[in-house]
Amino acid sequence: MRDKIFYGLSAATALLLIRNLYMIFMVLPDELNQGAAYRIFYFHVPSAMLGMSGIGIALIFSVLYLITKDFRWDSIAAGITEVSMVFCTMFLVTGSLWGRIAWGVWWAWDPRLTSALVLWLIGSGYLMLRRAIDEPTTRARLSAVLSIFGSVNSYIVWKSIEWYRTQHPQPVLSIRNGGGMAPGMEATMYWNLLALVMLGVLLVMIHMRQETMSRDVEALRRYAHAL
Amino acid sequence: MKEFARQVWAITGKDLRSEMRTKEAINASLAFAVVILLLFSFAFDQSSDEMKTMAGGLLWMVFAFAGTLVLNRSFVREVPNDCLDAILASPISGAALFLGKAIGNFVLLMIIEMACLPIFSVFYDVRLTAQPGWLAAVMLLATWALVVIGTMFSALTVNMRLRELMLPTLVYPMMIPALTAAIQLTTVLISGEPIGENMIWFRLLAAFDIIFTALAVTFVDTVLQG
Amino acid sequence: MDQTNYSFMFYGFAAAWIIVVGYLVLLGLRERKLKQQLEQVKALIATDSPSRSRIS
Repeated sequence: MRDKIFYGLSAATALLLIRNLYMIFMVLPDELNQGAAYRIFYFHVPSAMLGMSGIGIALIFSVLYLITKDFRWDSIAAGITEVSMVFCTMFLVTGSLWGRIAWGVWWAWDPRLTSALVLWLIGSGYLMLRRAIDEPTTRARLSAVLSIFGSVNSYIVWKSIEWYRTQHPQPVLSIRNGGGMAPGMEATMYWNLLALVMLGVLLVMIHMRQETMSRDVEALRRYAHAL
Repeated sequence: MKEFARQVWAITGKDLRSEMRTKEAINASLAFAVVILLLFSFAFDQSSDEMKTMAGGLLWMVFAFAGTLVLNRSFVREVPNDCLDAILASPISGAALFLGKAIGNFVLLMIIEMACLPIFSVFYDVRLTAQPGWLAAVMLLATWALVVIGTMFSALTVNMRLRELMLPTLVYPMMIPALTAAIQLTTVLISGEPIGENMIWFRLLAAFDIIFTALAVTFVDTVLQG
Repeated sequence: MDQTNYSFMFYGFAAAWIIVVGYLVLLGLRERKLKQQLEQVKALIATDSPSRSRIS
């Protein structure tokens, strides 16, 4: 059953991604001010949304683990955090590339990119912590607490960096004008968000299966030791 | 409630007494702070006007780096002779243990900061007395923020291998909002400008303190058990 | 301008896809390692106690 869902979702994701790429490159015209490079946004913006919200969603599963002590929640939280890091990386790299073409610098300390970088650091701290602890219950317990601290902190960082940067003069001109998108472009953006959500769910599923597998290995090892 | 306060005080007193006998952490951290202050002088042009806008940042970098030396050790030093197990087995709640240690660390950090301030003022020609009341308020709030995060993560990583390598990467990103606020406020205060719209940073600091103190007190038992 | 614009569009998409594919490769490698470990442990248990090897 689970395999069927997995393969079905994979096929649907692939189809949707192909459809979106076709729309992005073949159907939609260049943007007036930014030319062709604006197309990066179709991946840039959804990956930002996913990367940021992933940390918040992982918080829910971490709390669930602490309440129920069920390892399933722990592996979901870990999977979501790791996949969020992938999307966060995508956001940072595409943002930097876009910044090079629009602002002329690779890194302009734009508030959103800066808070994403902090979030990325917190997330990699979480993943490092998981690798440093071998005992499964300790690992789950400590990483759940870290996930709670990290997501609360990311929210505060998000707010505070926005205040910090807006009080300073912007180093460069931003041509980002909120809400001025043509309807066709905006729809494609949401379609691609959906595609990336599906991709993310797939990745989390793969990651979860591996977590279960590694717990099996651990359990069998302990069993072998006991013999 | 009175019992709880007595327990907190017992932990704080124990930590401060043992630190005052050896003065290990406080000496190391003070020496380190002076070293950083010296190193910064090579990195920046100290006489320029730009220095005024950097001063707040420099000061809090020094406090954050030197402070974590003290904070990182706060739970680790209970590990030899199984002291931590003994404390956990005693009828003291995790919350009392955490608050006791945090208050002890707070006192130590304030001592270090008080010692650094005049040195900083002399080295970089910064006038700290422009608005002393406000500056004191910033120092108290921001130091508590550093202490709460540092003490909590010291508890979190106490039994972990690679602890020394892990801690900085975990702790500094967590401190970023508090440090941002403290840097912003200190820069404004040193330059003698009125606080005005920067009041928002005070609120951020206060909120940071309240939120993370509450979270730490809630979760410290989860972290230390087992 | 137009030329660089196009090449940066290409870089952007290439980067996004490289990151996803890279993560997939990482997951694949991890899966292979885990399967190997699982086989090893199972073999270990089977040789140690033939009578109880059906437990897994």
